Amino acid sequence: MRSFLTGLAAFAVTFLLAHFVVLSALPGQIMSKVRERMADSGIPLHSWTMSPRMTPQTQTVVRPSPDLAYAICLIDVSEGPVELSVPAWPEYGSLSIFEADTDNVYAGSVDARAEGATGMRRVIVALEGQDLDEYGEAEQVIVSKPEALALIRRLAPSQAAYEAAAALIPASRCAPL
Amino acid sequence: MRILPLLIGGVLGLAAGAASAFFAAGMIGSGASVGDQIDVNGWKSDWTIGSTSANPWTRARIARHGLLALTKEEAVYFTTNMDSDGNRLSEDCTYEVSGGDMPGQWWSITLYDAQSYLPLNKDNALSFDQTKAASSGAEDAWSFTVAATDPETGNWVSSQAGGDFDMTLRIYRPTPDLIADPEGVLPTPGVKRLACGGDA
Repeated sequence: MRSFLTGLAAFAVTFLLAHFVVLSALPGQIMSKVRERMADSGIPLHSWTMSPRMTPQTQTVVRPSPDLAYAICLIDVSEGPVELSVPAWPEYGSLSIFEADTDNVYAGSVDARAEGATGMRRVIVALEGQDLDEYGEAEQVIVSKPEALALIRRLAPSQAAYEAAAALIPASRCAPL
Repeated sequence: MRILPLLIGGVLGLAAGAASAFFAAGMIGSGASVGDQIDVNGWKSDWTIGSTSANPWTRARIARHGLLALTKEEAVYFTTNMDSDGNRLSEDCTYEVSGGDMPGQWWSITLYDAQSYLPLNKDNALSFDQTKAASSGAEDAWSFTVAATDPETGNWVSSQAGGDFDMTLRIYRPTPDLIADPEGVLPTPGVKRLACGGDA
């Protein structure tokens, strides 16, 4: 009986330990693999890259929206802050930033119709402790790990709208300061 | 001899703990839903999606089934895998999905397979959205057919190669009312099963 209880206690302790260690590690692992896959497919660090129009054949992440035009920038702030600037869009659009553990730590509208909209949204991404005093005008997003990912979503249900979104990439910036 | 039960219990515990974490995250099987905090007539969501306040189970499920999801202030996601009578959605059946204007800036409904990907077909009929509702002149009373083959008339979202599928309603820039009281404010789309298999 005592042996059974000992085994049961060992099972309970290691079960809980393994459950929470694996569960906590999964988001970071998934994000890391997606990042590797993006890098392998030719998406460079610190450069906005337009995703192809979303179809079953072009999808690379789960649950893409086929009505949106996506642009991605892989970020690494270990060497210093990174600046993002994104031109406005005449319909729904957003700039979002995701941490290495998948949390969406920033979302800002790039819809030209939104209240207070400007022609360009400018955001600085940095680690805690990095000096941002000289970049006072831009919005600032502090991430807890150096690797992050930025995403532009623009409503583009047609090929023409997708091409108009793609034409804004040269005027967009994702680069170390 | 206390070491043997300790060892057996420990090894079994590690294996079961890891397996249960994979299951909870939706890595094993297809049972994981997007969230379970909010359920409005079978359309489920979770307001902590994407946020730092998400619990470990929600964060892991979203990483697997909804990576790069936005927080609720920017977008809310409602997913259903059932018709309005509670039957599992299936590629073998035909459905009519209908609804009205949604409380947000822009919305869409997209069909995904059990692995959370767009179904592998070339029908070019992946989603229905506010733009299509407006262009058909019925933004407040729209409907579309979900079927594996083109119904030839009306709006269509293809379920071909979808298997046991689900549908995600996205509402971008949702109204504060919707966030405060989803059960009272969301006009959930109806999902009516019309026919299955040879019944048509």
